[in-house]
Amino acid sequence: MEILAFQGLIGLSVAMYLWLLASGLTIVFGVLGVLNFAHGSLFMLGAYFAYTFYGLWGVNFWLAIPLSLLSVAVVGYVMERFFLRHIYKEDHAYQLLLTFGFILILDDAVKMVWGGVAKIPAMPGFFEGTVSVVGRPFPVYNLFIISAGLFVAVLVWLLFEKTWWGKMVRASASDREMAGAIGINIPTLFTGVFAFGAMLAALGGALGTPVRVVAPGIGAAMIIQAFIITVIGGLGNLKGAFVGALIVGTLSAYGILLFPVFELFLIFLIMTVVLMIKPQGLFGG
Amino acid sequence: MKEIIRTEGLGKYFGEMAAVHQVNFTLQEGFFTSIIGPNGAGKTTLINLLSGYLLPDAGKIFFRGTEITRMRPEKRVKIGISRSFQVMNIFPRLTVFENILLPVLSRLNKNARPFSSLNSQKEAVEEAERILNEVWLREERDLPAGQLSHGDQRLLELGIAVAANPQLCFLDEPSSGMNPIERIKVLELVKKLSAERKTTLAIVEHDMDVVFSLSDWIVVMNRGEILAEGKPDDIRNNQEVRDIYLGEEI
Amino acid sequence: MKTRLAILSLIIFLAVLPAFAGKYLLYVTIHILLLSIFSLGFNLLFGYTGLLSFGQAGFYAVGAYGCAKILLAYPSLLAGIIGGVALAGVASLVLGILCIRHTRIYFSMLTLSFGMMIFSLAWKWRDMTGGDDGLVGIPRAPLEIPGLLRLNMAPMENYYYVVLVFSLLAIYLFHRLVHSPLGLTLQGIRDSETRTACVGISVRNYRLVSFTIAGMYAGLAGALLPPLESTVTPPVAHWSFSAEPVLATLLGGIYTFSGPIVGAFLFYVLKDIIVRFTQYWLICLGAIVLVLVLGFRGGVVSIFQGKGGRG
Repeated sequence: MEILAFQGLIGLSVAMYLWLLASGLTIVFGVLGVLNFAHGSLFMLGAYFAYTFYGLWGVNFWLAIPLSLLSVAVVGYVMERFFLRHIYKEDHAYQLLLTFGFILILDDAVKMVWGGVAKIPAMPGFFEGTVSVVGRPFPVYNLFIISAGLFVAVLVWLLFEKTWWGKMVRASASDREMAGAIGINIPTLFTGVFAFGAMLAALGGALGTPVRVVAPGIGAAMIIQAFIITVIGGLGNLKGAFVGALIVGTLSAYGILLFPVFELFLIFLIMTVVLMIKPQGLFGG
Repeated sequence: MKEIIRTEGLGKYFGEMAAVHQVNFTLQEGFFTSIIGPNGAGKTTLINLLSGYLLPDAGKIFFRGTEITRMRPEKRVKIGISRSFQVMNIFPRLTVFENILLPVLSRLNKNARPFSSLNSQKEAVEEAERILNEVWLREERDLPAGQLSHGDQRLLELGIAVAANPQLCFLDEPSSGMNPIERIKVLELVKKLSAERKTTLAIVEHDMDVVFSLSDWIVVMNRGEILAEGKPDDIRNNQEVRDIYLGEEI
Repeated sequence: MKTRLAILSLIIFLAVLPAFAGKYLLYVTIHILLLSIFSLGFNLLFGYTGLLSFGQAGFYAVGAYGCAKILLAYPSLLAGIIGGVALAGVASLVLGILCIRHTRIYFSMLTLSFGMMIFSLAWKWRDMTGGDDGLVGIPRAPLEIPGLLRLNMAPMENYYYVVLVFSLLAIYLFHRLVHSPLGLTLQGIRDSETRTACVGISVRNYRLVSFTIAGMYAGLAGALLPPLESTVTPPVAHWSFSAEPVLATLLGGIYTFSGPIVGAFLFYVLKDIIVRFTQYWLICLGAIVLVLVLGFRGGVVSIFQGKGGRG
């Protein structure tokens, strides 16, 4: 019994950085109408940048995280401003193809810059160690991820519900033409939202760095996870992304425990079941 | 005259808003019916419900006595209900001819053949040519439909709707977005189709001249409900109807 | 008339190729033919039905592994190929039922996901697929029709002719298919799904038909691989391999008949050149995709036809 509770807590920490990943994807889709296939690659870049800043260059962990976010925001800015923007009016298929092209580029680019070997970054000093949870040693860092994840979730909710920027974004999401007509600078807003989504993904990657392996190919693996989460939760729905991430995170953890090697299929199975019962996702409309 | 389609208590709601509410009406076979009303009255929603594009939240629909309330749109076409769209809905990359050929093939249940060439489908090809003539698009036969002028696209749209040889056809604002010359042509075609085919036509239209000159029956909607229905003269003299049009010449 | 002449010359050229080409050139030509078949199937889904699939490598892999397992147990080339295609057909039918009921965007997401699920299977199910070592020692079994003929496939030229015949057959069938009423139906779905439903056609059913056929084409390409290479490994199921028909079709021309074939040829030419300069081949592939999507959507074939034309 304790094992289940313990594993559930592990699953919760996994769910947190999965949520950060999926939320960015779903926000960008909800507002820009674009499904960014390369979103998982932005997560991966966040991880690589974090690894570089605090793992290789010895920058303070608390500084390394924001630096990583900024770096990925720049990448996101370039992607949107110079590439994606040109094909908003085109068929969705071209947007998908374009972002698919970016997965190819980014996943290979990290090999070029950082080498193909997986990196295992060190845990930042003050997070080392474990805490006793139900009589078993639970890594302090995972507690940090859980709290950080929940904290950011609240921040994001506040951002979209209470701030002026958030209101503009929601207005543009529901009626682009109207929003443009009342003076909202749609192109700039879109770039901002895209960069914001990129930063969420990067945060997920950066937070995950000390507990995950940093390797090329993570980009593709993460986008699949993000897809599964958004299919389960409903594309464009933040609440759905959160719930979906919880489901996938805890299932992964239990899967590794109960069905090692084939835990991925447990998740695919859940996705398939959701698809058959509620094709638009649990919270989709 | 026989009833061709009938609704009972039809309703469609989007959240708090009733797009269509408690609609009971009947269309008579062979009667040219116009559905009129201010913007947002629910006319297009009604057509969507009748053609199967939307499913109702309440009520029932009967086609020649058979209930079809939740029948899928493609099945409704097969039993004889067709429609055209207010926002142009043609096959842009197919040629004008192919745009008509596809619904004809579908009607003849021959659209699934995987290996015969299109030209070998003699019956379908001949019929498609005939319809092409009927809608005055013979010369544009081999153009990609997306390259047609706006007005011609609308003619094609009507052609696709009648190619299914429907018993009942809904035309949703067939002349919307047209310049005056195009409008005349489109409405001429509607008149011609109504006169020459055995299809019962029901059109949503704003042009009152057309409505009153062509219709055998008029249904007036307002705020999702049927306000009034009847012969043109009765509607013309109906005070409530005059009120919602705020003194426009009707 | 000119096109017919060109096609005839091409077929004759391909038929006499073994007379003057070395083994390596035959090997590459076989791969070009395989990519052509693979890409034709992809384009049936994309250019003709409007569905963008990023998981076709999954069905290629089913065809490849299926054929390999059959050949390892019962060395008859025809059994392996037909078995591989059939298995790929079943797989695409089953996964298709799950994928085609959704919007195009969900569809694309799902194809990427299911494609990678198959990759995971190939990689982890050691007992069945050999894991990351894959299946080895696959025989280039003889082409056998019991009682009628038995052709030894050891010489590369012989296998080349088998691949050529299957390719020409596949291309011919594809041509009949896309110029038939079924082909018109699929294109109608591509152009306007709403309209297609409103002319009495069940969009879902035909999407499934298209998906299954595309899966079988991928399976055929996959099934022709093991006798050539004698091994099958998980990378043939990976999403980066799904990118190959995507790029080939983009290069050659999406809405054209011959685009995928021309594109397959160009793909190998490009790859051959690029790989000499850098090992980071995927970056170049990605960059080419960007360039094509942003500037050159008609592909190479459109240059010879004028926009809006069809091959």
